[in-house]
Amino acid sequence: MVNLEDLKKEAKMLLEEGKVKYIIGYERSTNGLMSVPAFIKNPKNVERLVWDPSCIYNLTRFLVDEKRRKAREKKPDTRPVGIVVKGCDSRAVVVLLQEKFINREDVYILGVSCEGTGVVDEKKLAEKLKGKRPDKIEFDEKDNFIITSNNEKIKIPAQEILAERCLECRASFPVIYDELLGEKVERKSGEPFKSLEKIESLAKEDRWAFWKEQLDRCIRCYACRSVCPMCYCDECVVDTISFAVTADTAAEEKAQKIKWVEKSPDSSENFVYHLVRAIHLAGRCIDCGECERVCPLDIPIRFLNKKLEKEAKELFDYDVGFDPEKPSLVSSFKDEDPEDFIR
Amino acid sequence: MEKILRKKSFPQWVKKLESYRIYAPTKNGDLWNYELINHSEDINLDYLNTVLSPKKIIFPQRETFLEFSTSNNGNPEIKEVLPEEDPSLVFGVRPCDAKALTLTDQVFGGDFDDLYYWRRRNQTVLVGLACPTPPSPNCFCLSVNGSPHSKEGLDILMSDLGDRYYVESLTEKGNKLLNLAKKLFEEPKAKDKKDLEKIQLASEKKIKRQIKETKKIPPKLKEMFDSPFWDEEAMSCIRCGICTYLCPTCHCFDISDEVLSSSPLEGKRVRTWDTCQFPDFTMHSSGHNPRPDKASRLRQRILHKFQYFVERYKNYQCTGCGRCISKCPVGIDIIEVLNKVRGYGT
Repeated sequence: MVNLEDLKKEAKMLLEEGKVKYIIGYERSTNGLMSVPAFIKNPKNVERLVWDPSCIYNLTRFLVDEKRRKAREKKPDTRPVGIVVKGCDSRAVVVLLQEKFINREDVYILGVSCEGTGVVDEKKLAEKLKGKRPDKIEFDEKDNFIITSNNEKIKIPAQEILAERCLECRASFPVIYDELLGEKVERKSGEPFKSLEKIESLAKEDRWAFWKEQLDRCIRCYACRSVCPMCYCDECVVDTISFAVTADTAAEEKAQKIKWVEKSPDSSENFVYHLVRAIHLAGRCIDCGECERVCPLDIPIRFLNKKLEKEAKELFDYDVGFDPEKPSLVSSFKDEDPEDFIR
Repeated sequence: MEKILRKKSFPQWVKKLESYRIYAPTKNGDLWNYELINHSEDINLDYLNTVLSPKKIIFPQRETFLEFSTSNNGNPEIKEVLPEEDPSLVFGVRPCDAKALTLTDQVFGGDFDDLYYWRRRNQTVLVGLACPTPPSPNCFCLSVNGSPHSKEGLDILMSDLGDRYYVESLTEKGNKLLNLAKKLFEEPKAKDKKDLEKIQLASEKKIKRQIKETKKIPPKLKEMFDSPFWDEEAMSCIRCGICTYLCPTCHCFDISDEVLSSSPLEGKRVRTWDTCQFPDFTMHSSGHNPRPDKASRLRQRILHKFQYFVERYKNYQCTGCGRCISKCPVGIDIIEVLNKVRGYGT
């Protein structure tokens, strides 16, 4: 079992010895059960850290912020940041390393093992609890979650409330770390692309109708993009103003900037946005499922990325985020790569 | 005008209102949203709260201002496009969301009337539904001059008394709706009034979350513009637009030209929602951005709602619906932020 006290001790030591700038971990939220990102600078505050099945967030997204912040500072503190990562999240660190977006010495990785379970889907949990407010969530090592609500203990089979991505998990303990907390327990791996079967079985027209209905709901809040550790481009195709603009950019250049996507949230523009994003994540998405979790309109965005993960696997035998030394899918090729799509 | 409507008579009343475009909370998957209703029996008022507030009906995320084109002889043609819709009726409006519209009225009214907004606003009838229990665990209307049975901004307020609704008509628009089905409504008896009072009192007690001493916050914020507090609070912000797009009071927009064809020229000038939380919201064409980081953007959201709006309109630009808290991807909690502001540095 991951011992929370060990995590706190480790975090405290790192901060006291000045080995890390700060620690990105999890703490209890102020508005419910689920834990939220915590940024701990002061060793005294390590008591705030939590680790339990409510720690669903992929914190690696904050490494992108850290890089930007550092770039703005005149004399940046070059020490690494400590970051708590689960198995899935660690694969995002691997991709960021592969792409040389971050360097290995920028991060001190506190890996936590999910020990054969995973994290809880808040919506599924809420449905099970029918209005009861959960106070605590634990795993009983017998494939059940034990939820404490108002001093009452409720047992729920893990399979029923696990996050969708955990049901298709491919790394239940971190693939890269400086410290590992908990046991290296292999997860009974389900079929990794099971969830896609239903959509894939639909006829082309029905798939179109499905996605049209889903994407028509999009309000373009860009939470899916903003929460994604891989969406780190300085300039995104959907932004109206280029961040490459500087005081020296000529007026003509600015005026001629191509607008690829309109701000109007209608079918065509929403499709462009989501499909561009999906394609840009091909061979990069590690299926942390954050894009889908944060969507206020419940658009099943994960399917798009999952499909491309499957394509990468089937066409190029490429597994995302396991080896930082391996070149990324889109920046490498092999002689035997299929090319029958070139006509 | 105060009346009683039996719940079983509700569909009959809706049938009498067929000349209106009727919006009501509709469930799609796990989500409730206001959608146009085709059949009176589709209306289900057993909802908690919708993801998007009725703001989206009166101030849609996208609307066309004008259409432009080049005519056959090469001259430019511009056509104003004003909203031309039948009168609308929204059922099941929560008091916080109705109050929010009264705040937006001040922004789009006053010295200059925004025609597009007012066309829709004036022809929309808002039928409210009081909240006997908080629709969200993050409701805090009582902390921002609201209440679960507030009438502000509504044409009618319905309160659920079990087998019947206590229906209070508050405006001419509201009276008209009741008069279309006079026979269905009964005069309230003393017991109805007593029940209503009881429910209202109980509903206020059920709201658990609160900003303490909200009044002290605006002057406090005035001193905190340069505080490192914002850096700390914004650490987890991911700069998405959820808090502002779902907010019933946020009303910022962008205007852009959408060109459908460049030769011959054809296009539209449209207004779309925009948000202070996007980095390009304040981006100057020089490349300078006066709100360069997420700390300054979070500060803007809080200061606009609890300082600038208060200074200008003598009210908080927040009605306590709790959407920004419940839907924030990283758990940023405006109640918590404001409670910290109140005690900051003391």
